[in-house]
Amino acid sequence: MSKKKGNMADLAPSRRDKKGFGQYLLVFILFVYTVLCALPIFLVFVSAFADDKWIAQNGFSFWPGEWSMAGFNSVLRYGSKLLTSYGVTLFVTIVGTAFGLLVMSMFAYAISRKGFRLARFLSIYLLIPMLFNGGQLSGYIVFTQWYHLKDSLLLLILPLSVTTMNVIILRTYIVNSIPSELMEAAKIDGAGEYRTFFQITLPLLKPSLAAVGFMLATSYWNDWQNAMLYIKSDSKQPLQLLLVSIQSSIEFLLNNTNVPASVRAAMGGTIPQYSSTMATVLIVIGPIMVAYPFFQKYFIKGLTVGSVKG
Amino acid sequence: MKDFLRNTWKHRAHVVMALPAFLILFFIMYVPMTGVCLAFKDYKTSAGIFGSDWNGLENFKFLIASKRIFLRMTRNTLIYYVIFTAVGTVLNVALAVAIDQCVFKKATKTMQTIMIIPVFISYAAVQFIANAFLHDQTGIINNTFGTDFRFFTDAGVPFWPLILTIIKIWKDTGYGAVLYMSVLAGVDSSLYEAAEIDGASKWQKIWHISLPALIPMITVMLLLSVGSIMKSDTGLFYQVTRNVGAIHETTQVIDSYVFHAVKTSNNIGFTAATSLFQSVTGLLLMLFANGVVRKVHPDNALF
Repeated sequence: MSKKKGNMADLAPSRRDKKGFGQYLLVFILFVYTVLCALPIFLVFVSAFADDKWIAQNGFSFWPGEWSMAGFNSVLRYGSKLLTSYGVTLFVTIVGTAFGLLVMSMFAYAISRKGFRLARFLSIYLLIPMLFNGGQLSGYIVFTQWYHLKDSLLLLILPLSVTTMNVIILRTYIVNSIPSELMEAAKIDGAGEYRTFFQITLPLLKPSLAAVGFMLATSYWNDWQNAMLYIKSDSKQPLQLLLVSIQSSIEFLLNNTNVPASVRAAMGGTIPQYSSTMATVLIVIGPIMVAYPFFQKYFIKGLTVGSVKG
Repeated sequence: MKDFLRNTWKHRAHVVMALPAFLILFFIMYVPMTGVCLAFKDYKTSAGIFGSDWNGLENFKFLIASKRIFLRMTRNTLIYYVIFTAVGTVLNVALAVAIDQCVFKKATKTMQTIMIIPVFISYAAVQFIANAFLHDQTGIINNTFGTDFRFFTDAGVPFWPLILTIIKIWKDTGYGAVLYMSVLAGVDSSLYEAAEIDGASKWQKIWHISLPALIPMITVMLLLSVGSIMKSDTGLFYQVTRNVGAIHETTQVIDSYVFHAVKTSNNIGFTAATSLFQSVTGLLLMLFANGVVRKVHPDNALF
């Protein structure tokens, strides 16, 4: 890891400007933009704790008139379903990210070895999917009818695990930021190829792994497309799909006036609409928002390094 | 050849390391490429990809016959690409310069953290937030202005380009500025000092030092984005609009159409022809863009 601390803003310490009126205006404009960015997220927070009936009468508000925990209580009504979905999403995110990072960094390491003549072919092999692909339709048919993977969690994990761009970022980091003398020295000391990779390269690759890993984890956490196409059983429904199905079941209930009274009663007398969906949204987006600031340092650095081709 | 084999054997550990990713790419990306032949076939689920009968250009004839839909989604795809790229680039650069110029470093760092967060919120969640603003009865917009817009009906059609652009800006600008900020951080600060001694104003420094420093990166990002003109943010166009038919006129793009068709197994022939069109156009544009990047800024070319 580099000894440079802090963000890149510190890289230009000699630019000391006077704090004139212009500076206050600038920081004010940035502040206003930040508030605009945060407002929609703030709305999710307050609406999750607002009274459902109050919203139904007065509409959504940044400062609702009545507060209530009922939204979260009715989220508990999804109960085991929500827990299952959380479990599925956690499993897919953790396994997928760990697997993807391992597989991609091994590939990146292999194609960055000097004197490895197959590396040229492998690099081209890596690039082609970025240029041309069969499209969603043939993917769907191949995955479901040839591999028979419909309703399998493998289809939530494998398609996102290896992406050309991420391998390129990792390879660039290995080439530019890890001195190859280190790897050669390890070999002279008698370490095999695998040991060199796992004990020398991988630890040094950490900053890049953190950046790529966070982006990868986010794409797993937020993936709804694959789930919507392939996952059918409730027990394998990830969080994003649960969110989508809540929306469609609300629409179904609202549009069908002949829903039996017993069903309505089971849903708590009224159709849970505003505060409970916002509470669910909060539960779904919460973990990423909490995790992000811890990764920001690596994230910005990883992106920066990855943007320069080696 | 013998040399090559010997070299490969010597590097067998590297071959083993490359193998897992190689296989994943093979099964996930390469095998489905064979499916492009569907564009020239009359697909029957029971017969499969290879068993289905060839039907020549029938699918493309169908595509031309229903050109209203095809042209509409192609037009929307292109228009949104232009809007998002133009507005996005200007705002990303403006934000990066603003943050770079600001001397309140601690405050800007915190603000930047908040600005980046929206990029990590999935569109499945964003649609609920959008709905809280747009809903005809409980939406913030109608409540605040006392209006009665019905965004999800025919009447809402002209508003959607603006709505989607605002959502896109909200979601991506903070994140998009990071790359440009890293370029600005690398600018030699003695340039600014020299300019100051020569009596340059703040704006002159931005115009003559900061912006020229960003131009190579802007060029590269723009050119590379040309390769993905035909692809859209499916979540934005499918989830946020809830795929409501009444507003397809201004919201349906190729990716959201294909996604829906695949999900409902509708119009397979039409979809296959559209997909092939999308893939081939994407390939040509990518090759073109990369060729230009290689001329302008060889270090940033993809291949």
